[in-house]
Amino acid sequence: MAGDDVNMTTVPPVLGVPSKGRLMETTAELLSRAGLELVRTGNARGYRGELRGLNGTESLEVAFLSASEIARHLMEGRIAAGITGEDLLQETIPDVDAVAKTRLPLGFGHADVVVAVPECWLDVARMSDLEEVAAEFHARHKRLMRVATKYLRLTRRFFAEEHGVVAFRTVRSAGATEGAPAAGLSDLIVDITSTGSTLKANRLKVLDDGVILRSQAMLAVRNDMAETPALSEVTQRLQAVMEQQP
Amino acid sequence: MAAGEDMGQRILRLFRREEFAPVEPPIVQPADVFLEKSGEAIRARTFLFADPDGREELCLRPDLTVPTCRWHLAHADDPAAEARYCYLGPVFRYDGADSDALHPREFMQAGVEWFGGQSAPQADAEVLALAVKAVRAAGVRDVATTLGDVGLIRALLEDIAMPPRWRARLLRRLRRPRAFRATLAELTGENGPRARTSISPLIDALAAQPSMEHALELAEKELTARGLDLVGGRTLEEIAARLLEKAENRAAEPLPKEKAALIERLLAVSGPLKPAIVQLGRLTEEAGPALRAAWEAYAARVERIAALLPEEVMNMTFDAGFGRTFDYYTGFVFRLEAAIGGRRLPVGGGGRYDDMLASLGGPAVPALGMALHLPRLAAAAREQEATA
Repeated sequence: MAGDDVNMTTVPPVLGVPSKGRLMETTAELLSRAGLELVRTGNARGYRGELRGLNGTESLEVAFLSASEIARHLMEGRIAAGITGEDLLQETIPDVDAVAKTRLPLGFGHADVVVAVPECWLDVARMSDLEEVAAEFHARHKRLMRVATKYLRLTRRFFAEEHGVVAFRTVRSAGATEGAPAAGLSDLIVDITSTGSTLKANRLKVLDDGVILRSQAMLAVRNDMAETPALSEVTQRLQAVMEQQP
Repeated sequence: MAAGEDMGQRILRLFRREEFAPVEPPIVQPADVFLEKSGEAIRARTFLFADPDGREELCLRPDLTVPTCRWHLAHADDPAAEARYCYLGPVFRYDGADSDALHPREFMQAGVEWFGGQSAPQADAEVLALAVKAVRAAGVRDVATTLGDVGLIRALLEDIAMPPRWRARLLRRLRRPRAFRATLAELTGENGPRARTSISPLIDALAAQPSMEHALELAEKELTARGLDLVGGRTLEEIAARLLEKAENRAAEPLPKEKAALIERLLAVSGPLKPAIVQLGRLTEEAGPALRAAWEAYAARVERIAALLPEEVMNMTFDAGFGRTFDYYTGFVFRLEAAIGGRRLPVGGGGRYDDMLASLGGPAVPALGMALHLPRLAAAAREQEATA
């Protein structure tokens, strides 16, 4: 599996934390409720830091990274644990459980990865409709139906393996995926949404059974580093905080 | 790999002696053709990339069947005339991180493709016999041969009366046994009435007066009322036609349970080749002319195979469910397996794909072929030599 070629002893005991924005603030807040202080070291804009307040004398080294880098670094064994979205973990790491089975839901950053088609597709409600439409589409238009998404792996898995939709191709989208059908860049999309309002504004509808993944922020710990005392303490403390929440 | 290359050349010589002309189609192929022709098993394992300008999606060929078809359509003077090709060359398949000597990312394949052959049963038997011969030439004595025939299930579905949309759906789901069974259950109404969906109210409205005019009118009105533009590459006619089909199918009689059972019974037929003729024969009595014709073709093929491979035929197995996961095959399919390191692994296989050339824009010409996995053949040969 991915990550297996990394020698255990070479995975540094570092926690990856989102480097900016709401994700970073909420993470810091949550850690502080667990009695832990997230501190940047070096200059204030640096990408290094540490987590203080752990039992014993040691502090845990922290790397401030973008949410998607955290998933990749975790897979590659460049950090031992990280806080990032389940969507990014599932998309980036072919078999997440084989790399980081311990994933503690942190109760924020809720969003769904969904299949959304143009509202004008009045005859399409479910993935089984999409399967049929995709086959007809190819026969009629002599091209494959295009799905704009940044979730290439999740899309392929959900479409092909779970629902037998094979007559499609993915179009990589870096941002503003919801605008792709109207712009003629794709026929439908797979995107992340928290309220669905952006999809509605773009006249797209989520299929009845089109939720691929219900995502939220997770603390993910590499299997080969789960026994590290500092990391299991962070996990336990966060778990205790989560259990106190209503 | 020197030994492997020798073996490849030996097999290629054998193919040439049997009057198959060697071809070397390009390694880099357009991706679309493969994405659409190959089943998910191949699709998920194909290396895809874009050209540096990001315009064309390309792939490293995962096999040589489609490339040989494309080569034929581009180079043959008369693509409708009979043509026999053979090849020896690398193919590329992604196997996750599980890549090893028996599941390499890049390996040599040797095979033949035969377009426009005359008698199907004879050609089927000849290609199978050639595969067996090539395996022998590679030094492998013991192979397990499984035959299938996806033409049988296609024929049975044709014999059973149902809306064309249901038949197309069953055929598409053939490669996913669980989904196939669920669809059968749904069509017989075994699961009770169909669950309502977000578009059911619209179908209700259309079912009251199902015509294309009404469907177009309803669809148009709906779009206008909701201020929707037509985006996403489908026309209003397409959308309306499918709404109409859904409305009409609602009124269709459910698929009789005994017909669904017949489909399951056909797919369950397996065992030695000749007894399977009898088993299939019994099923034809409950079906129609299409299955009868497919059954006769099966029996004729077995007869030719027995004539060409009188000893081997005794140990061959028929499995009606085998081949249902390969998308492009239309009839006869086969697989040769050898024991390697305590496992039984496919070392070769092939079959008939009569729709392929036409679907690539060529003439409607029957076609079949087979290919061998050279590293596995070499491994099997070494192992059998060691135990001899």
